[in-house]
Amino acid sequence: MLRNLRKALDGIVVCDFSWVGAGPITTNVLGQCGAEIIKIESKKRPDILRKGGPFKDGIGTGLERSGYFANRNPNKKCISLNMGHSDARDVAIRLIRKSDIIINNFRVGQMEKWNLGWEDVKEINPRIIYVTMSLQGTTGPHKSYMGYGINLNALCGLTARAGFPGKKPFGTGTNYTDHVMVPGHTLFGILAALLDREKTGKGQTVAVSQLESAICMKPSDVMSYAANKEILGPLGYGDPDAVPHGVYTTLGYRRWIAIAVFGNDEWRAFKKVMGNPAWADDKKFSTVEERKTNEAELNSLVEEWTRTQYADWLMEELLQNGVRAGVVNDGRGAIDDVHLRERGFWAYLDHPVVGSTLYNRAPICFSKTPLRMEKAAPVLGQDTRDVLTEKLDYSEGEVDQLVSDGVLV
Amino acid sequence: MEEKSGSLSDLRVLDFTGVLGPYAAKLYVGLGADVIHLEPITGDALRDCGPFYENIQGKERSLQFLYYNAGKRGMPLDLEKEKGREIFVDLCKKADVLIESFAPGYLEDLGLSFDFLSAVNPKLVQTAITPFGHSGPYCDYPASDLTCSALGGFLYLAGVENEKPVRVSDNQAYRMAEAYAAVGSATAVLFAKKTGIGQFVDISCMESVGMALENAPQYWDLEGTNRRGRGTVAGGGIIHPCKDGYIVLVTIMGRNKVMWEPFVKWMKDEGVDEWEIFDDDKWIDPAYRSSKEGYTTFCRIFERYSMKHEKAYLYDKGQSFRVAVTPLSNGKDLLENPQLKYHDFWKTIYHDALQGEVVYPGAPYEFGNLTWRLGNPAPAFGQHTVEILEECGYTKTKINALAKEGVVYVAES
Repeated sequence: MLRNLRKALDGIVVCDFSWVGAGPITTNVLGQCGAEIIKIESKKRPDILRKGGPFKDGIGTGLERSGYFANRNPNKKCISLNMGHSDARDVAIRLIRKSDIIINNFRVGQMEKWNLGWEDVKEINPRIIYVTMSLQGTTGPHKSYMGYGINLNALCGLTARAGFPGKKPFGTGTNYTDHVMVPGHTLFGILAALLDREKTGKGQTVAVSQLESAICMKPSDVMSYAANKEILGPLGYGDPDAVPHGVYTTLGYRRWIAIAVFGNDEWRAFKKVMGNPAWADDKKFSTVEERKTNEAELNSLVEEWTRTQYADWLMEELLQNGVRAGVVNDGRGAIDDVHLRERGFWAYLDHPVVGSTLYNRAPICFSKTPLRMEKAAPVLGQDTRDVLTEKLDYSEGEVDQLVSDGVLV
Repeated sequence: MEEKSGSLSDLRVLDFTGVLGPYAAKLYVGLGADVIHLEPITGDALRDCGPFYENIQGKERSLQFLYYNAGKRGMPLDLEKEKGREIFVDLCKKADVLIESFAPGYLEDLGLSFDFLSAVNPKLVQTAITPFGHSGPYCDYPASDLTCSALGGFLYLAGVENEKPVRVSDNQAYRMAEAYAAVGSATAVLFAKKTGIGQFVDISCMESVGMALENAPQYWDLEGTNRRGRGTVAGGGIIHPCKDGYIVLVTIMGRNKVMWEPFVKWMKDEGVDEWEIFDDDKWIDPAYRSSKEGYTTFCRIFERYSMKHEKAYLYDKGQSFRVAVTPLSNGKDLLENPQLKYHDFWKTIYHDALQGEVVYPGAPYEFGNLTWRLGNPAPAFGQHTVEILEECGYTKTKINALAKEGVVYVAES
């Protein structure tokens, strides 16, 4: 094989018990890097995201039409394994023997119920990296507290500051912590454990606390309170180091432009694009401090100027003049964005039920081991027979038996 | 319990980043790698970003600089001088990873392209973190955290209907890129350890933001709609006011009645006025919960109760009924959070230079063998210059000459 067609994680096998959010996003990235991801599901307990919208043509019947599920699970194999059946563990054990990584994001204790906790698994395969993703760790007074991404956004402190001052906070509008903060740390933890294994030959546990990993990417509120006894409030769309800085109305339905002006040189460039209006030379806007003091008035004057213009044309003009600006893209806008397209960020992959639909690759461009976007998300159980016969040394007859016994469903 | 002995101490990381980029190398610091933070001879711009310790601005007082660069060794280096470039190349010879956030083309123009550095050290992984990446029509445009969030489609989601979107704190477009930069670098290092082949890893903030769109692009692709944040669905992750702030509540998803029942029990046990209204199968129907009647009824009953209590009470009480309720924490709440205290999550270090203690977030994860550390306080400007150059074989005399010429800066000891 040509060197430049190699994959960075060629040969790494992942036994993937994870479901819904942060877990599948983690294994999605590993899969794009070339690892073989074997996702374990069952018709009795499918990944519940298969029932989450959007659905192809808005039709939510069955388990194969969800785009929410699909975009987190491309390039993966999927086996049906009913872990509620007493014979399922033997299949899991054979897979664990062949795996480098085993990952789950179940509630604490679920893997142990199947006798697949770390103490058991390390006996089966001492080289395996054993990954858990608890909400708040496995000890302490809140270890059993429950929550979804949107709860974690709030608990870790992100939501309180994402709002307009004096109004009810809003947050990101998504389960943000699930998308980057938790999978990002989990991925780095897995890679660190793989690097350590190169030296020791041994696997180890990687226990991610979702709350603690989220806090690590937003240190300001606590550090500021501890140092200054000051509670940092909501930002609106402002920034302490830039003015004007915000989201301004332009022509069109829900069309805004984001503009960020740092320092006096950028302010001069911005004034020039605005055509140097007389108001902009008023003393009350002459320095960063003055502009901060009069920020609300400044924002409304800027908006008077933007509201009669097309956001994309205005962005182009501002950027050409060295002013940081960007249209506020909605989903469609991001898909149509010329830059993301040219860099191959989007991929359309063929699926037997829904046909060609949209995916995005991970935001990592390797010069020598490019990411792969080859296969659409798996139909539930599509690889059961192949994986069991080719990888786990079951005969066709044994597979037939396990199917009729209700193990492989 | 087995003794933990693992560390990435055999990894050498060069970190030439500033406002954008520093968290990537901090992740390496946490697991023991030797990280050198290079900064421009004029100083890392992050040193000028608030909040500041005791609210007093100063080059050694930026809390962000202290956090993101804790555990790193530091050296100011002028790459625009010939001798500065020689030092940089010397450092790259012995490094596993170079993480940098210069504008695309800047290093190439100085004769320090990846091809050149790779010839010097074939195993080197160079990871570039930029707003738009090193290719494509926007790659030379100026940008900020806000504009990257806007262009990538992330900002739009933070609002409902015709409202303008709001922004999250701590430059999340930058943080997202840094997280993926750390992951991409580590993947490439693992590959380099196995094959001897280094590579260039191109990370874009705009694309990183694109990882956090949840399902918004798929809504357009599959159903032809542009979604925003979810606003007015009873029990569907709505923020409600309480006596001292806000809480967020998820009481049901889809038609999952098993999730709804504990919520009804909570309301009943607390003797909430009109709790009986919740004890009705109409709430299991998503259409009712999204209706104006459903939403306003829910808010009327629940908020009459929540406004009587503090967020910490509602958190513990609701959780005792297995309801997914959490407070909207602020800095004080987090510092006093009993779970984080129990884990000894917050790390306090006394800084001689500040004559006071600084509190830092601690470990994001725990390993069976690798040990996490915060490391020493972030480097003062020029603190490790002598030590780093001596490791490269420079003599004291030579180092003094370099400092005099402004190639490096040496802190007074």
